[in-house]
Amino acid sequence: MSATESFRSIEDTVRATHGRPGPAYWIGLALAGGVAAFGAWSYSLIVRTGLHWTGLQRPGMWGNLITDFVFWVGIAHSGTLISAILFLFRARFRTAVYRVAEMMTVFAVMTAGLYPILHLGRPWFAYWLFPYPNQRELWVNFRSPLIWDVFAISTYLIVSTVFLLVGVAPDAAALRERATGWRRRLYAVLAFGWRGTDEQWRHYTRAYLFFAAFATPLVVSVHSVVSWDFAVSVLPGWHSTLFPPYFVAGAILSGVAMVILILVPLRRAFRLEALITPHHLDMLARLIVLTGLVVTYSYATEILLALQEPAGDPERSTFLYRMTGPYAPVFWTMVLCNCVGPVLLIIPAVRRRTAVLFGICVAITVGMWLERFNIVVTSLSHDRLPFDWRVYVPTWVEWAVTAGAFGWFFFLFLVGLKLVPPVSIAELKEEAAHAPAGAEEATHGR
Amino acid sequence: MSDPSQRPVGRRTFLQVAGAAGAASVAAGCSPRAAVQKLVPWIVPPDDVVPGQPLFYRTLCRECAAGCGVTARTREGRAVKLEGNPEDPIGRGALCARGQAALQALYHPERFKGPLRRGAGGALAPTSWDEAEDALAQALAAAQAKGPGRIRLLTRLEPGATGAVQRAFMKAVGARPEDRVVLEPLDPAPLRRASEALFGRAELPVLDLSAARSIVSFGADLVETWLSPVELARQLAAARGRLGAERARLTWVGPRLALTGVSADRWIRCRSGGELAVALGILRALVEPARGVPVPEELRAVVPRLQRLAPEELAARAGVPSGELERLARELARRRPSALLGPGAQAQGPEATQLAAVVLLANVALGNVGRTLRYGLDAREDVPSSAADLRALLGAMSAGEVDVLLVQHADPVGTLPTALHAADALAKVPLVASFALRPDATTARAHLVLPDHHTLESFGDAVARDGVVNLAQPVMTPLADTRQAMQVLLELGGKLPVPASFPSTDPYDVVLARAAEHATRATGAPPADVAPVHREALQRGGYWWDPEPRPPVRLRPGAAEPFLALPPPPAADGALDLVVFPTALRGDGRGADLPWLRDVPDALSSVSWSPWLEVSPATAARLGVGTGDLVSIETAAGRAEVPAYVFAGIRDDAVALPLGAEVLSVLPASAGAAFYWAARATVARAGRRTRLPLLEGSPYQHARELVPVVTAAAPSPRRPDLSARMYREPDHPEHRWAMVIDLDRCTGCQACVVACTAENNVPVMGADAAREGRYMGWIRVERYLGDEPGGELDVRLLLMLCQHCTNAPCEPVCPVYATYHTPEGLNAQIYNRCVGTRYCSNNCPYKVRTFNWRDARFERPLDLQLNPDVTVRSRGVMEKCTFCIQRIRYAENLARDEGRHVADGEIQPACAQTCPAQAITFGDAKDPASRVSRLARDGRAFRALEAVNAGPAITYLARVRPEAEP
Repeated sequence: MSATESFRSIEDTVRATHGRPGPAYWIGLALAGGVAAFGAWSYSLIVRTGLHWTGLQRPGMWGNLITDFVFWVGIAHSGTLISAILFLFRARFRTAVYRVAEMMTVFAVMTAGLYPILHLGRPWFAYWLFPYPNQRELWVNFRSPLIWDVFAISTYLIVSTVFLLVGVAPDAAALRERATGWRRRLYAVLAFGWRGTDEQWRHYTRAYLFFAAFATPLVVSVHSVVSWDFAVSVLPGWHSTLFPPYFVAGAILSGVAMVILILVPLRRAFRLEALITPHHLDMLARLIVLTGLVVTYSYATEILLALQEPAGDPERSTFLYRMTGPYAPVFWTMVLCNCVGPVLLIIPAVRRRTAVLFGICVAITVGMWLERFNIVVTSLSHDRLPFDWRVYVPTWVEWAVTAGAFGWFFFLFLVGLKLVPPVSIAELKEEAAHAPAGAEEATHGR
Repeated sequence: MSDPSQRPVGRRTFLQVAGAAGAASVAAGCSPRAAVQKLVPWIVPPDDVVPGQPLFYRTLCRECAAGCGVTARTREGRAVKLEGNPEDPIGRGALCARGQAALQALYHPERFKGPLRRGAGGALAPTSWDEAEDALAQALAAAQAKGPGRIRLLTRLEPGATGAVQRAFMKAVGARPEDRVVLEPLDPAPLRRASEALFGRAELPVLDLSAARSIVSFGADLVETWLSPVELARQLAAARGRLGAERARLTWVGPRLALTGVSADRWIRCRSGGELAVALGILRALVEPARGVPVPEELRAVVPRLQRLAPEELAARAGVPSGELERLARELARRRPSALLGPGAQAQGPEATQLAAVVLLANVALGNVGRTLRYGLDAREDVPSSAADLRALLGAMSAGEVDVLLVQHADPVGTLPTALHAADALAKVPLVASFALRPDATTARAHLVLPDHHTLESFGDAVARDGVVNLAQPVMTPLADTRQAMQVLLELGGKLPVPASFPSTDPYDVVLARAAEHATRATGAPPADVAPVHREALQRGGYWWDPEPRPPVRLRPGAAEPFLALPPPPAADGALDLVVFPTALRGDGRGADLPWLRDVPDALSSVSWSPWLEVSPATAARLGVGTGDLVSIETAAGRAEVPAYVFAGIRDDAVALPLGAEVLSVLPASAGAAFYWAARATVARAGRRTRLPLLEGSPYQHARELVPVVTAAAPSPRRPDLSARMYREPDHPEHRWAMVIDLDRCTGCQACVVACTAENNVPVMGADAAREGRYMGWIRVERYLGDEPGGELDVRLLLMLCQHCTNAPCEPVCPVYATYHTPEGLNAQIYNRCVGTRYCSNNCPYKVRTFNWRDARFERPLDLQLNPDVTVRSRGVMEKCTFCIQRIRYAENLARDEGRHVADGEIQPACAQTCPAQAITFGDAKDPASRVSRLARDGRAFRALEAVNAGPAITYLARVRPEAEP
């Protein structure tokens, strides 16, 4: 296959994803949109009469909605990890998958950012959390981790969006050439006047490298900041110096699992098997093994340190409560999903079977949501004064709003798929151009 | 906004009317008379009504028979808060939970708006006062013509002008004295009976527990409802406040641990009905010659009779180890004077009068009568009828012998066992006229409803005892077209065929006429003009004088013997003992429709809004029930289904029910003096579950040493070393407000909780919110039963409220500075800045912040009670204890205006102000001489969760546990 032909086939394959959607797409879109709309309607109940619709109570003032926030921030992480960090490390397997990961990042941050606002008692005053000049001379409290969150999330949203758009520019230009109608205008905008001149390529590669370098620390910092929401408190089960690395590892674990969850149906539906190969999935599965082990280690550290405390220590009591109390099913499901699942992927035969890999990734996604629930809820319901202990059970409204997050995310994603090339055309072409014929075979055929 | 003209009473209208009342009060001295019909515009404002400034009136509490004096704080013509009258010898400034809640009876949304008459359709329909009174007068005339006994009056205890008018009225209609029946269900009638039998005086002793060195309570819940709980709680605190060996020991005798038992140092866990055997055992041990206690002359005759009782047999019948009674008797002999009290409602049964007599005999044996139990002070202004009198009345009603029944603040259907069939008896009476304020089970069957004024709208007086006459005066204009019952009776008197010769129909004149007599006794000489003397007394709150000593009571010869019979052995029918008890919040159940009293969780069970059946863990396991499971209770009288509450503080062979409408069907109809009797009950699982509104999470301390206690051997709690400091402490340039809570004094009576609710507009959210754990109270009583589940019962109370920490964990986490540290050390909450992240609550180690899950509703006219100095919070914001910042500001502003510093003790938060045991002290920790600073240096001091190092402003003083028995 000549380089030109190969370029054309790549372009065709990717362009095919933007073709007229089939009924499956519409059903998916309607389903996601419907779930999102039901979540929004359920939330409107809370706006109308208050948070009594939730199962929250003293001492558990945070529940599903904060769990959702941490979960979706976590999902967002692996996108940047795959596109930026692996780019800097020149991990070539990222090429085929990074665009999906980046889209996932942007949409996940857009989902995550909603939930802290949704859980407010007076969400219509959410803008008070921004330090804007006002005549009342009110300012925000920069000591509060919630303000750090505001900055972390908004920074992350801006940077990941810019990074996505920068990567899309050459592809948009390629698609613009053959598109018509509104799509042509859309790609013209997304291409930012891209002509593919040497000068532009020179700037582009520099800029891309710069953004990759810029985004990399965010992978670590954003979820560290999110973990500080808990770690800087005085609550047993939250107050832990382990939280930042533990949260980052967990975030990447959940994010990579979500990437796989998206890629597996995607490559089948859009016939991208030639571009997103089993090799790519294999490499992602290895990433899950690594982060899964870090997460397992964190669990073990936390528990073992807590159990060393004397009887009557609230920290110890909280961990025993997690393992044996009313939330024990949550805890053990979480351990099964997040510790046992990833470890199974060490066996090559397991991780190469796509169906098994997919199943394990579903389990990890569930497990990581439960992990956040476990941290947020069990610590609160079992704090220092036993007289106040209470079990929090989410209501249907909270479950609807939680499901709404998935609906909203997949709705955005499905729409995005039809607008943004899900695989980077430019980078694949670059790879195809540089790779010798045999090497290409080796890369794609594995 | 709705159009103000559309509302029934607009704010402006209300203020105008209120202003008119205020103006009238100026004209009449310091106390407003009955409603004035003229409107006085604000152009000429009354001198003492300054908008924004509170106005205080001394008046009276009639929520129970104790008759405490209160101070009503009014704002712009409406009462917003009740506090004890500091000059009143009974309450001394304190007020119990039920007294605090009297305001809600005043502003109850269901209060009758005017007189009602049952129409042809069977429904109550509004009528006019003239029509209603004429109808009643006609019926009275017809009944009077038929001869005596056709007109009856059922009233609550009215020891004052109202009672006097009632008696005069009944005389005028030709009724016999026994035709007026006084229903006071919690009256310790057996004690009256026993006093009569032993001493020849059917009266109650007036207690002075502060002198006692040991106190034994036979089911007498003296900090909850018994006799005069505010006064007794204060006396108990004084008796226990002494140090070392002089400190009084309290022993609780009963099958179930009541709140008073929680304050006790020892619990004699006798079976229900076994109190009599315990009392006999003590009495027998006291007269043992080897004891070395001289047996008083009067008791010599009964010694041989007592010695025939076998101690082992008595202990077996009491269901306690035999050594225990001997030990208690030894202690009583050693620690004198003492006081043996009882029986309370939960120790009443067929042998209640015998128990009361044996308890009195033990007091005689120990020389307590005349010292801690003083006879001759009961003024006997009004005496409650016994259950037998009521049964006679109900019998006459059922037999159709009663034509007119007047019911004044008594609800025989809603408060007495259904086995008495009061409802059926009422149905046989052609005319039932009720003076109730709001609907109850009796007004549902009444033909005429003539709604009385609330006490806070009336003139009156109450003779609490010889030497204490407290006065009632209206503190605000009546809210509706109600008329004081006393006035109605006086007016009816004028409409009788032979008009009664009442000098006036104005209650004030009646009270004034009686005042001459009080003033004479108080000053020793009749006053030349009673009006100015009485005006002064109204400002003070009453007439108080030292009564002249009465001759001591003596045991009548031969009176003791009938009471020394061996009590019957426990029944062996496989059933359980059913104990019924009143609670500090709901009394005999009459307060159950006041939202504050329903919403505040019971201090022991932590249940609100629902009745519960206390079941011991072993019994619960045997029955297969857990907390919240419905159980059916079946007695000879009837059956009821109540959710179970598994409670370690009750014997395995007993279950216990709080008094209230829900349990009336299972209570036996008493044949003795008392209205409530224990019973035998078959208890079984009903098979269904309810979610019981419970405040408690875990009742155990889980080895966390949250609430330490001290003993003589270890006089100080263990405290962590907090000398290491990482951060700069906040500056408090002028004051640092702080609080000391003495857990040795705290009884858990919840007066502070209700006072806080009243003062701070804390909303009542209802039963569902309570079930969901969304109780809004700013203070709560945390009650721990022991260290671990199944361990030893060791009840400890911890009053929990915002600790106003120096390094408050809630402050740094708020993103919008809605909570912050003030320069005076308060942890302030800015409601209108709060966005509701709720992080502050998560980070609060004490979990004292409450969140407004929904908008609170203050149904009209409950909103008139809202304290204008405190914001009503909207949904979505956090709130918590403010140390009553409005009171701090008030005192500071006053001091600034007067050019002085705030004096120590000048500021009293609502909780500290109302505490009967004076357990709460508030003040400036910056001033080393202030009371709060001195108390905080006490050896018993500790702080809650001190190791968290939040630097709380509240210091607790640990409970003292007595040293081991020698």
